[in-house]
Amino acid sequence: MADPPVPPPASLDDAAPGVAPAPLLEIRGLAKAFPNVLALRDVDLDVHGGQILALMGENGAGKSTLLRILSGDYQPDAGTLSLDGHALTLTGPRDSRLAGIRVIYQEPEIVPGVDVAENIWIGELPRRGPFVDRGRLEARVRRDLADYGFEAVLPMRAMGADLSPAQRQLVEILRALKANVRILALDEPTSSLTDEEVVRLFALIRRLRDQGVAIIYVSHRIREILQLADRVAVLRDGGLVAVRSAAELSEREIVRLMVGRDLQEMLRRHPATQDRVVLKVDHLSSNWHRDISFEIRAGEVVGFAGLVGAGRTELAKAVFGELPIQAGTVAIEGRQIELHRPADAIKAGIGLAPEDRKREGLILVRSVVENASLAILRRLSRFRFVRRGLERRVVGEFVKRLNIRTPSLDQEVGKLSGGNQQKVVLARWLAAKPKLLILDEPTRGIDVGAKAEIYRLIDELANEGIAIMLISSELPEILGLSDRIIVMQSGRITGELPGDGTTEEEVMGLAMADNLSALVEAAAAGAEDGGK
Amino acid sequence: MTDQPAGVPASGIPAGGSAASGAPAVGAGRQSGTSARRIVGLVGAENLSLLIALAILVLLIASQSNKFFLSQNLLNIGQNISVVGLVAVGETIIIVAGMLDISVGSIAGVASVVAALVLLGSGDVVGGSGLAVSAGNAPLAVAGGVLAGLLLGLVNGFIITALRVNAVIATLATLSAFRGLAFLIAPEGKPVTVLNQSFISLGTGRLDLIPGWPIPISLLVLLAVAIGFAVLMRYMDFGRAVYALGGNPAAARLAGIHVTRLKLSIYALSGAAAGMAGIILTARTNSGQPASGSQGLELEAITAVFLGGASLQGGRGTIAGTMLAVVLIGALSNGMNLLGIPTFYQLVAKGALLVVAVAISQWRQARAERARTRVAA
Repeated sequence: MADPPVPPPASLDDAAPGVAPAPLLEIRGLAKAFPNVLALRDVDLDVHGGQILALMGENGAGKSTLLRILSGDYQPDAGTLSLDGHALTLTGPRDSRLAGIRVIYQEPEIVPGVDVAENIWIGELPRRGPFVDRGRLEARVRRDLADYGFEAVLPMRAMGADLSPAQRQLVEILRALKANVRILALDEPTSSLTDEEVVRLFALIRRLRDQGVAIIYVSHRIREILQLADRVAVLRDGGLVAVRSAAELSEREIVRLMVGRDLQEMLRRHPATQDRVVLKVDHLSSNWHRDISFEIRAGEVVGFAGLVGAGRTELAKAVFGELPIQAGTVAIEGRQIELHRPADAIKAGIGLAPEDRKREGLILVRSVVENASLAILRRLSRFRFVRRGLERRVVGEFVKRLNIRTPSLDQEVGKLSGGNQQKVVLARWLAAKPKLLILDEPTRGIDVGAKAEIYRLIDELANEGIAIMLISSELPEILGLSDRIIVMQSGRITGELPGDGTTEEEVMGLAMADNLSALVEAAAAGAEDGGK
Repeated sequence: MTDQPAGVPASGIPAGGSAASGAPAVGAGRQSGTSARRIVGLVGAENLSLLIALAILVLLIASQSNKFFLSQNLLNIGQNISVVGLVAVGETIIIVAGMLDISVGSIAGVASVVAALVLLGSGDVVGGSGLAVSAGNAPLAVAGGVLAGLLLGLVNGFIITALRVNAVIATLATLSAFRGLAFLIAPEGKPVTVLNQSFISLGTGRLDLIPGWPIPISLLVLLAVAIGFAVLMRYMDFGRAVYALGGNPAAARLAGIHVTRLKLSIYALSGAAAGMAGIILTARTNSGQPASGSQGLELEAITAVFLGGASLQGGRGTIAGTMLAVVLIGALSNGMNLLGIPTFYQLVAKGALLVVAVAISQWRQARAERARTRVAA
């Protein structure tokens, strides 16, 4: 608790803009322990109506635990909550809702078989006799969508199953707003949104704030926080490290508070591009792409920037043999490869760390060693018998090199933290000694400390001569790590920029070269792809 | 279990001791391990509860019936579990791979008739009627039965992979179709009598390996097949791929596993094991049986697999666990017979046991998931 540079939180509250007379929600001495982890310890925090409070911290810092206590999912071990000065006991999600608290998680529950309008009003559909009153429902939903400016991005009659992650998020927010909300907490709401959608969401959040709602906003994106929040609370290892007015904080300062280290140190690239071309994609077209051509050389990091739905993930999967190619060729070191399945790409020397590591990267119920050796089992086997001693040595070496924190090689991967899980995926591909490594959002959802390690690793791997295709939606990452940047939009390459001296504005200019209608089109195409 | 607090470098909070020291403590506890822990490791932690359940069950039955511990009775149990055991061993790899095969009983039925027909065809026809009595070539009959099982397994695999029919539906369909097939190939749809003595000894023969304890040959066959499958699953790259496929098919494919080919092999292997079960069944009853005897095998086999620690979601389960569960179920039905419980009650009990087995498996899964979300918190 006693972190020297941080004065006691109580005095900091005075610095907040628009000082509210009394806090809406007072959190005092909140603590929660799980076996072996103290998730929250002695947290004092005031949440004011008409203010946006950003909650920041690395993964495992205690943000999610705090939200789960507010939503009634977890019961605190110690401490009190009071709303309007009255003690508040939350024994379940129902209590929380009745008190006017709504927590919006990253992956909302959406019923796949009904449309947006019914998803929003599910459980409270307007009725006429035994039937749903579609007329009244649609009028209401149409008004709300227009009101909040979402009519273009969230078609009222789109089916739940066809919605993009962004659209699902919006449905969940609209659900919350139809009841009387006093405290709205959002858990990383923008992690899957396009910039256009983020702008709309922010407008909505500001409007709610101005109506007097208290907003608790959890995000990893520091810039976003600085734009949006009035106050920033930083958690580290379950304890509150600082509560400050957003106006007083810089990006650097926040990172320092979160990890005690500097961000600029983390992003460093030592160019080592060789002449040898490793990957050559020639006039590739697919269901998602039109006429894509590019090269990546040995030792080169090529960043792929673009909005969600630009086709970057699909391009990675096409090159990896997971999605069918309709025209064009893919060649590794000058040799054209036939791609029927990922195994063909792996044989040619390609590795892919997918965007969604839980769904596509890892076998969560199996051990670290089994996950890490999966792509090289044949190489580790003699007469189809896995040489287990050799396997453990090889995997052990990468566990050490990647600094994977696990109690043992036999630990179930599902029980590791996000950052360590990602490193297990990386270990699998490093063990395969690839010529080309495709990294799709390699730092999504992992804490700053692990991010720094992965940045350093990308730099190292390129210096060892591996060609790296880096897909990321975090522009600082792309700008800081890439030797060359390729920008995509709606399944096409719209431009190429040098890694040095390029600004975020230049990249965004190419990523949004077309107007809004193209964006909506891409979102619709994305929704279609998601449904397949 | 606890990686974050210890995982944050330079956390700089002196008071962090309690949380930060949690992880190393757990790690050390795992690695050191007392001798008791080593024994648990040998049996497998999940299998330990099975062993305890088995011990309790045995004590319960023995307290009610003084016949249970007679060597004759114990060996009978061994002989009786061999058919279900073979089917269950094959079913284990299917369920570990995240799929299901409810047609295994019907496959055993076809294999049974095929083996009898091979004996019939390869032997001299004695007497004039269609249901001839003959000796025939025993090894050829065994090969024929196993091959029939393997081919029918491939048919299941083909329907599931190429036609993309859900595994439960596909094998529900073949449960019926293969049963029909067994009657179609049996002359006039009747059991085919078998006379070959070396073939029959597979079902009822005993080997005097231990004086006073004549071991049923069918039990030895089961042990050999079970050990073979256990080696395949534990020590070979095939087994690793099966666990990966069951744990996460999308990730397995992206890690370079040929998913279609693997599924075909899994169903072929399970079919072959069911075929072997059909052969034992034929040998025990002296006749190729289109249906009777193989009916309800799938229920007992699937119960054993789940009771043995496999998960409905795939990716978990071992041959050793299944074998323990097979012994447990064998002891249970033997006990019910000794205690004179009527067959109809036994059927109800078997159904209830499947529910219990899956409920335990699901409860384990939920507990594991809770442990996981806790870390994410």
